[in-house]
Amino acid sequence: MAISPPTGSRTRTIVLVVASITLVVVGLRDVAVVRSLRESAADVVSPVEGAVSAVTSPFRNAWHGITDYEELKEENDRLEAELAESEAAGIGQSDAEQQLADLSASLDLPFAGDVAKVTARVVSGPRSNFSHAIEIDKGTDDGVVEGMPVVTGGGLVGRITQATGSTARVELVTDPEFRVGVRVAGAGDLGTARGRGQDDPLVVDSAMSPRAEVAPDTGVVTSGVDRSAFPPGIPVGTVAETRQGSGGLALELVVEPLVDVDQLSYVTVLLWLPG
Amino acid sequence: MTNRRLVPVRATLVALAALVLQVSFVADLRIAGAIGDLMLVAVVAAGLTGGPDRGVAYGFALGVLYDLVLDTPFGLSALTYALVGYTVGVVGAALVRTSGWWPVLIAAAAGAAQAALYTSLGNLIGVSYPFGAVPAIALAMAVTGAVLVLPALRVMWWVHGHNEPDRLEMMFR
Repeated sequence: MAISPPTGSRTRTIVLVVASITLVVVGLRDVAVVRSLRESAADVVSPVEGAVSAVTSPFRNAWHGITDYEELKEENDRLEAELAESEAAGIGQSDAEQQLADLSASLDLPFAGDVAKVTARVVSGPRSNFSHAIEIDKGTDDGVVEGMPVVTGGGLVGRITQATGSTARVELVTDPEFRVGVRVAGAGDLGTARGRGQDDPLVVDSAMSPRAEVAPDTGVVTSGVDRSAFPPGIPVGTVAETRQGSGGLALELVVEPLVDVDQLSYVTVLLWLPG
Repeated sequence: MTNRRLVPVRATLVALAALVLQVSFVADLRIAGAIGDLMLVAVVAAGLTGGPDRGVAYGFALGVLYDLVLDTPFGLSALTYALVGYTVGVVGAALVRTSGWWPVLIAAAAGAAQAALYTSLGNLIGVSYPFGAVPAIALAMAVTGAVLVLPALRVMWWVHGHNEPDRLEMMFR
């Protein structure tokens, strides 16, 4: 026999759906209540999360051993090949990171040279498929506040979007909402890089002519112009390809980030805020 | 019969346990590059055992809880889970002849639906979640849903008892 929904069910459904829509609308406005609720939740969840993670780590490691085996093997093969190549051609010659560091130096853009920094451990990766944020174990107690840039030795990781006493949340460069002003090394052209989700490269909307030539593997660094959210000269990535932007008026660059945000263990928070 | 006073306590316990396990354990296990969703499995189990009424209630509550620990638009999980919970409840209640595999199929379908719904609604409110990522996410969510829904049903029976309008029992008769 078929069962009809009990009376009152429809009312409750409508009330809860309307309530959810209200939450979405309220949440979009970045109201203080939502913000403080999320901060409180972070304070409560983080320690519990750490404890459960520690207990379940053998199982998770086994899982990664099984599911990532091919990937790890490929990476190992690739690294071996790269190492051989590197040794042959002189260490670091083919390394994009080195190239960027050189370019940054030549442009007199110190990569966060004289900025105070804090090293933090990554406590957890993205918590859902639609989240592009990681949690770190340093917070306001260590001087970390919202808006600070986060890097590794390789380059830009993201930006602090929430900080409580002992934890902080980092919005990754791959977040579809992430924007950073960049400069194409060498050419010096400015543009805005935006994330496009996990595993996808960044896209730079430039003001360059669609006919301009940008060589593959050209470095892209933060521009730091005007009231930029980042200091200048942080390596972001290398140009993978160029194409005509929508509208055909400007060149669009596809940029492979230097940092693999899926494989982070430690990051560095630059204690720097936009001036 | 479950003591009715115990139901809210047990339900809260289940919700918190699901949240902690999701963020500290399941979120780190990737299937095809995407993450499974334990919270959704609980919502599906609620819809299957208690109909649309319970489905939408669990969907809303678990969604709000999940939204609190995410950086995604606040309320979006609550909205999508509530809609999926309601639909699962309606579909589960409408099935006349069922076998033991129906919950598994429904849970898998709900996982895929959630992935598409979340991406679509996210784009509607201006967050450009890539649609290209939907198949992988749908797959991961469908797989976790299919694997975990049967134990999740038992958990829901522990919370609410069998004596409430128990659609599964009626379906299996």
